[in-house]
Amino acid sequence: MSASSENINELIGEKYKDGFVTELETDSFPPGLDEQIVRALSAKKNDPEFMTEWRLDGYKQWLTMDNPDWAQLSIEPIDYQAISYYSAPKSLEDGPKSLDEVDPQLLETYKKLGIPLGEQERLAGVAVDAVFDSVSVATTFKDKLSEVGVIFCPISEALRDHPELVKKYLGTVVPQGDNFFAALNSAVFTDGSFVYIPKGVRCPMELSTYFRINASNTGQFERTLIIADEGSYVSYLEGCTAPMRDENQLHAAVVELVAMEGAEIKYSTVQNWYPGDENGVGGIYNFVTKRGECRGANSKISWTQVETGSAITWKYPSCVLLGDNSVGEFYSVAVTNNYQQADTGSKMIHIGKNSKSTIIAKGISAGKSQSSYRGLVKVAKSAENARNYTQCDSLLMGDKCGAHTFPYVEVKQPSAQIEHEASTSKISEDQLFFCLQRGLSADDAVSMIVNGFCKEVFKELPMEFAVEAQALLGISLEGSVG
Amino acid sequence: MNQDLKITDFYQSEYEKQRGNLAGSELGWLKVQREQAIKNFSENGFPSPREEEWRYTNVRPIERKQFTSVADITSTVDEALLRGHRLESADSLVFIDGQFSAERSDLPQLPEGAVVKNMADALASHSELLEAKLGRALHDESHGFLDFNSAFFSDGLFIYLPKNSALSKPLQLLFVSTKQDVAQLSTIRNLLVIEEGASVELIETWVGEAGHCYLNAAVTEVLAGENSSIKMTKLQAESNKSYHFGGTYVKQAKHSIFNHQSFSFGGALVRNDLHTGLRTAADVTLDGLFLVGGRQHVDNHTRISHTQPHATSREQYKGILSDKARGVFQGRVIVQEGAQKTNSEMNNHNLLLSDNAEIDAKPQLEIYADDVKCAHGVTVGQLDDESIFFLQSRGIDSERAKNMLTFAFANEQVEKIELADLKLLVQEQLLKQFPQEGIEKEWL
Repeated sequence: MSASSENINELIGEKYKDGFVTELETDSFPPGLDEQIVRALSAKKNDPEFMTEWRLDGYKQWLTMDNPDWAQLSIEPIDYQAISYYSAPKSLEDGPKSLDEVDPQLLETYKKLGIPLGEQERLAGVAVDAVFDSVSVATTFKDKLSEVGVIFCPISEALRDHPELVKKYLGTVVPQGDNFFAALNSAVFTDGSFVYIPKGVRCPMELSTYFRINASNTGQFERTLIIADEGSYVSYLEGCTAPMRDENQLHAAVVELVAMEGAEIKYSTVQNWYPGDENGVGGIYNFVTKRGECRGANSKISWTQVETGSAITWKYPSCVLLGDNSVGEFYSVAVTNNYQQADTGSKMIHIGKNSKSTIIAKGISAGKSQSSYRGLVKVAKSAENARNYTQCDSLLMGDKCGAHTFPYVEVKQPSAQIEHEASTSKISEDQLFFCLQRGLSADDAVSMIVNGFCKEVFKELPMEFAVEAQALLGISLEGSVG
Repeated sequence: MNQDLKITDFYQSEYEKQRGNLAGSELGWLKVQREQAIKNFSENGFPSPREEEWRYTNVRPIERKQFTSVADITSTVDEALLRGHRLESADSLVFIDGQFSAERSDLPQLPEGAVVKNMADALASHSELLEAKLGRALHDESHGFLDFNSAFFSDGLFIYLPKNSALSKPLQLLFVSTKQDVAQLSTIRNLLVIEEGASVELIETWVGEAGHCYLNAAVTEVLAGENSSIKMTKLQAESNKSYHFGGTYVKQAKHSIFNHQSFSFGGALVRNDLHTGLRTAADVTLDGLFLVGGRQHVDNHTRISHTQPHATSREQYKGILSDKARGVFQGRVIVQEGAQKTNSEMNNHNLLLSDNAEIDAKPQLEIYADDVKCAHGVTVGQLDDESIFFLQSRGIDSERAKNMLTFAFANEQVEKIELADLKLLVQEQLLKQFPQEGIEKEWL
């Protein structure tokens, strides 16, 4: 599991490697947002009737809301009328029936990114849904998954083939009016993944969605809905990249997870949106609402995230622990460098008896970046014997960066046991000396210490992702290590 | 909304009525400050829970009442209450319903050049010094209660200690609220100017007639000079129907030491603000205990701002909540750019003793420097079953065992008090919170 420090050193000095642009003819909406655009978008996606109404409801609620300003972030005002809310490669107009029909240029893009879309060259059997700007390009292993009854497809396809399922669950975890960005997403979301794991099924392979923003002047608004029915299990991975551009692009996604009795969902993210250059120009605004509900007893939802990209991250993956004995977990490494800003953390809402949650958040700030942990642990009166353990540690590299911790603890149940710990420090001289004394170079020593700092989180990631995450860590800290 | 308008209008007209009689009303500079403050207050009113800093404390009950200052204080003072809280070892200044009572006070012997006076008199005799110092420790803060206090303050303590001087004894401030026909308002403003190398120990004691409803809105400013040493203890044992806002704002110069201990037992709705700014190698220790029951609400809000290198801060607050009480702890540590080698530690431990009690804790770290060591921890829990069992196995019934353990949890904070008779006074207050069998004074 330990990518040696040599690997990391090789990666240091490497620039953002996924920053290329794919030249494609696209079908885009003109910039701007009004009711007509929402309707047009809905028509484009061939939404069922209820969906159009649902979107319009979201749009109306969005109009009454303000950009949230409570986070420890400085955000240039966003002109929502300057964004194009739909962009798709022209070649996908008719919808390719199989992988062979997909535009080779698109396949090339994913190949370059190292995402396996060809089922024969499978990587440890991961089923992938590839989302390119506003549409899903391809979903692999669908047949194999359907053998066991697992539905894994783009959400637009799910709306066509399984509207009753989508209707039953969509917006039940994150309602349209939940917050400003969720409302915007509800109105204009274009694609995303839909997963349904039937009762008692253990999903035979890892499911994965790969998001790519390519077109300029667009935003990406995807919506993911994962339902794990009673006693089922699924592990889901999410990755993302974008080209290097001087403008800031908005990515406002919503992820909803539903775990029924005894079900378990493991959701892992390696977020590597373009972070902007060393002067803070460009980069993605990553404003994401992620929430899971443990609806049934003994259910479990686990979030693992490695956040290295994006100019600004605003993201709080949360668990609502409704079921008795339900478990929520959050493991996070957030790395910021140059002028990146991150305000991220988790919310654990304890409602069921004996519900347990763990939050492990590691922040690494370098350059002139600012990173904040913001979290809430709330124990309702009904949550007898609730248990939470929270640990957030920050590592500072350089005297121009900032690391902040804003935990909120609200407890209404005397039998609850809540622990919160936070610490902030730089790499200590003692640790460095210890490594140097054993013959390691300063660079190696720092890499090793940083990797050790993040280990608790990395060990929660599926294998392939763990390797990628470690590599990303090296790139993101380029210039600040040593 | 209408209600808000009414209450600010009410205080605006109160201000106009009292304008001529307020302390230092003949001073032009003070008048400007007061006018500005009442103007701010009229615009903004009391803080609302929509403000992040007031998120868990709704001061609506204070807005619903109309508190008025009372002029005549002589007849109704409960002398026994006063005696019961007086410290043998300390000199004292006594304030009754916000007015200085000279005959009940024991003013200290003063070193040369030192001033220890009530604020109203000091405004007459040391106007220039006050003009230069008043409001200087407020860290550019503003909220409803600060404006409210600045507009209305009637009296308080003023201390000036020149270089390397010290008072021979600790100084106790006794704030007594009496039983009146109306819900009365006391607005105390204290100012401590402690010059280089000087030291002082101050004890604030807040008591009130049981069962009576009143409002205390107090502000204390401390300007701590280089190498100065200041020790403060605040014992708040107000009537359970009263409202209390107490803000302490400190500016610490190089190498100064500030120790603060806070004990909150009384009050229906209590908010303590404690903010300090640290310059090079300054040192601060904040300790607190809040033990409340019934429907009490107590909010402790601390902020430590490290502005320069090498400063150290330590903080520990403990909360015990029973019945339907609600406790709030917010501790914020800010390390500003360049404040390298900062060492900061904050702890908050809370015991919830009943199904309907609630605690909201919000420790915060904001760090803009890299060579620092900062940590904070929060726990919420209950008494350890094994410890209870241990005591039970020695023949102590469970009720008694629980009381003993709860008392021990609280007593850790009381044990930190050095002054013997103050420790005893606080312990007595603490024991009053344990009406059940179990804790006997002889154990102490």
